[in-house]
Amino acid sequence: MLENKAQLRLVKGDEATHEPYTIAMGPQHPATHGVLKLDLELDGETVLECKPTVGFLHRGVEKLAENLSYAQTLPLTDRLDYIASMANNVAYSIAVEKLLDIEVPLRAKYIRTMVMEMARLTGHLLWLATHALDIGAMTVFLYCFREREILLDMFEEICGARLTTSYTCIGGVRQDVTGHFLESLYDFTEDFPSKIKEYETLIDKNRIWLKRTQDVGIVSAEDAVSLGLTGPTLRGSGVDYDVRKHMPYDAYPYVKFEVPIGSKGDVYDRYRCRMEEMHQSNSIIRQCIEALPTGPIRAADAPDLVMPYGIQKKVAADATFSSGIIKLVKDSERYIEGDVYVAAEVPKGELGFYFVSDGKGVPYRMHIRSPSYIHIGALSFLCKGQMVADVIAIIGSVDVVLGECDR
Amino acid sequence: MRIKYDTKKKLAEQIFLLEILKGLWLTLRRLFSRSVTIQYPKERKELFPGFRGKHALIRDPETNQAKCVACMRCSSVCPARCISIRYSVDEKTRARKVDSYEINALRCIFCGYCEEVCPVNAIVLTEDYEYSDYTRQPFHFDMERLLKNWDEFLEKNNLEPDKYLNPFLRPRGLPLGELPAGKRIDVPEEWTYEGQVIWKDGKAVSAKEAASN
Amino acid sequence: MELLWILIKIVIVFAVVMLHVMYATYFERKVIGHMQVRMGPMRVGPHGILQPIADGLKLFFKEDIIPAEADKKVFYAAPLICLISALSAVAVLPFFEGFAIANINIGLLYIFAMSSLASYGVVLAGWSANSKYSFLGGLRSSAQVISYEIAMGLSLVGVMMLSGSLNLTDIVHAQMNSPYKIYLIPQIIGFFVFVVAMFAETNRTPFDLPEAESELVAGYCTEYSGMRFALFFMAEYIGMIVMSCLAVTCFLGGWSGPFDVPGIPFFWFLLKAYFFIFLYYWVRATLPRYRYDQLMALGWKVLIPLALFNIVLTGTIKSLFG
Repeated sequence: MLENKAQLRLVKGDEATHEPYTIAMGPQHPATHGVLKLDLELDGETVLECKPTVGFLHRGVEKLAENLSYAQTLPLTDRLDYIASMANNVAYSIAVEKLLDIEVPLRAKYIRTMVMEMARLTGHLLWLATHALDIGAMTVFLYCFREREILLDMFEEICGARLTTSYTCIGGVRQDVTGHFLESLYDFTEDFPSKIKEYETLIDKNRIWLKRTQDVGIVSAEDAVSLGLTGPTLRGSGVDYDVRKHMPYDAYPYVKFEVPIGSKGDVYDRYRCRMEEMHQSNSIIRQCIEALPTGPIRAADAPDLVMPYGIQKKVAADATFSSGIIKLVKDSERYIEGDVYVAAEVPKGELGFYFVSDGKGVPYRMHIRSPSYIHIGALSFLCKGQMVADVIAIIGSVDVVLGECDR
Repeated sequence: MRIKYDTKKKLAEQIFLLEILKGLWLTLRRLFSRSVTIQYPKERKELFPGFRGKHALIRDPETNQAKCVACMRCSSVCPARCISIRYSVDEKTRARKVDSYEINALRCIFCGYCEEVCPVNAIVLTEDYEYSDYTRQPFHFDMERLLKNWDEFLEKNNLEPDKYLNPFLRPRGLPLGELPAGKRIDVPEEWTYEGQVIWKDGKAVSAKEAASN
Repeated sequence: MELLWILIKIVIVFAVVMLHVMYATYFERKVIGHMQVRMGPMRVGPHGILQPIADGLKLFFKEDIIPAEADKKVFYAAPLICLISALSAVAVLPFFEGFAIANINIGLLYIFAMSSLASYGVVLAGWSANSKYSFLGGLRSSAQVISYEIAMGLSLVGVMMLSGSLNLTDIVHAQMNSPYKIYLIPQIIGFFVFVVAMFAETNRTPFDLPEAESELVAGYCTEYSGMRFALFFMAEYIGMIVMSCLAVTCFLGGWSGPFDVPGIPFFWFLLKAYFFIFLYYWVRATLPRYRYDQLMALGWKVLIPLALFNIVLTGTIKSLFG
């Protein structure tokens, strides 16, 4: 039997002897950025097939939201893209505000834009750190964390937490900024461009870095659009699409910034895009600080955290009100009925919230369009025909966070 | 804005590995610079007021008990549903008496909603973040435990009970009229609605000051 | 009597090399730590000075896990092959005038042989563990060894031509009598090729592909734990020390220096060797990692032609002026 098999191989030659070498990269692997699992089929070191498996970090945020009031779901959005949770908070808030038709005061808008760009910096810094570490430049990792630490400290100052910020509320922000915060943030923005230069000294023109990133994981503009890529991953391919520019929200219409786009769509272009975006974010933060207006930080018609819309006064008047607020939240038919989809540009791409509301205090259905999930879908397209080491570089360059992907 | 970059190297750069030498020079300089890390258990970072850490019930100096009035706002706003309160109502005065107040700290997601909605500033998330243990039981905080947390927190940080301030006890930048009576406590001017800061001539100043100049 | 003297020398060199291995790990963590604006080990002893001892103890007492499907004999042998061949290479290094355990005439060749042998340990480790990541690491290693062994050998041919000997002590003597006192200047191309090949030969960044942690988890030593892992670790650091010493001996004039330090005949040798070990750390803190095929391209398309060119150049100059 065995002999026959061996003969068969000899007769048929290459085809019969050739079987792919399958390797399970993840869910516990140092370079898959969390619990992503890639089933790779290899021919030597070349990837024939790459099948991503997701869901290891599924917590059912969308289903949980159906049982929580709109305000209660907000802290859960911290846990989507836990690297830049401020951005998720803002994205969620503007979606709910659209549903409830609330106009946010100007000061809150500026503060939100400021923290959103800070979140973009934290997100991009962590991306650069891990991307460089995957490719082997260990030092960039720690230099990036040095600056990220400063930003996280500032988050701590304004909202009391470093990662799970829950800073915004529906109709504004929960806490005003302080003078110390503004001053340290302004100092940071003055210092930051020189730090970016420091990272670039180590990798930007480095021949090894260029060899590892240029002409690797190329995705053309057409493919990028049809794969549904967003954010810097899309812009690296040369498609000019940025939610901040094309569907502006918060204070983005009032600040000047450019949307960097690449041309070739390889790993290096995506890297350059994000580096340039850090410069732009830095300038947006400065503009926001300088133009910060006075005024309220929460809209007057913003719903109370506990009491749902409309019944607030009734409940306050009723001194004997004892229990069952949750029931009231669920049953209060004060919310607008209908569907709403609102997207915001988070560091990873376009984070969209889709609500179906039946007028109750809780959403009938919430869907999160998370960029990471869609970017992971593109991995099998991007990795085909590349080498194992390139798979790592590509995962790094599309910048995925599994908390957001699996939600 | 299309990004322009030129990664072609000149012959001299190519041969003498200039960009690598630049990188080496940077790391060598950093070898002699101060490190940014701190040696954690020996030195600790100073936290900003309002860091959301271990739960505590503020002990009322007058009654020596918790301030809680069993309004149930915290337990109903809690997204993780980790607060459970039981109370009884006095038949005559219709006043409520808290029978038990329990927080399951292992369920808590530290959003700070409870301390923000509390109308009498009874519950607070203190700036204490070191309370790990080997079993689950110590994380089921009951009333005594929560009050003890407060005492321990004050003792640990050498704080006067009435001097403690936390931005969640009175959210910064909210007008006085929007706050319940229990939350209208004295705060630094910067935290009030009137004293909110703006940026002027390279530094942060309070809006009132900026207007008067 | 002579045998006793050799034994004493072996014990001394072994102890010194092992001490250096211990503290090479410590200083690597310290140096890279400070380059990355952090502190490195700080807990065990003042400034973590006892860290290597703690690490050694930990690894020694850890459970020795052997995969069920592993080829046990080879699995046991592989780390030993690595360590023994690395340690054997130390035997021919001349640390100062007249001090080498074995002053043999083919010293250079012997070191090559031993360093190639160490790579067999890596290949076998990758194969025997019966794990996919280990296997890929082993494959990469074998490819790397083949290409860089050649470049390294060729880069030293120039030195051999100038000194006319393969004996390391003679090479140092020849350098001391040469016009520049060191071979670094006439052999600058050879030196460059040697340094690059040296990094590749010891599997260090930017050529640490066989154990690239972000791609292959830990490469060939993924399945190793405890003491067996420590053996690989020691072999790697001894390899680094041997290569640094070889670079010092062949290009930087060995133990000779601008002036004699009384009482410490190995002063200059150690100083130069420490520089190379520092270079290993320094480069590790700075550079990213090559890809497997790029590494091969660099070896075959750049380093080997350069080394060959160096040989031709050296030969031409030597026959014209020498």
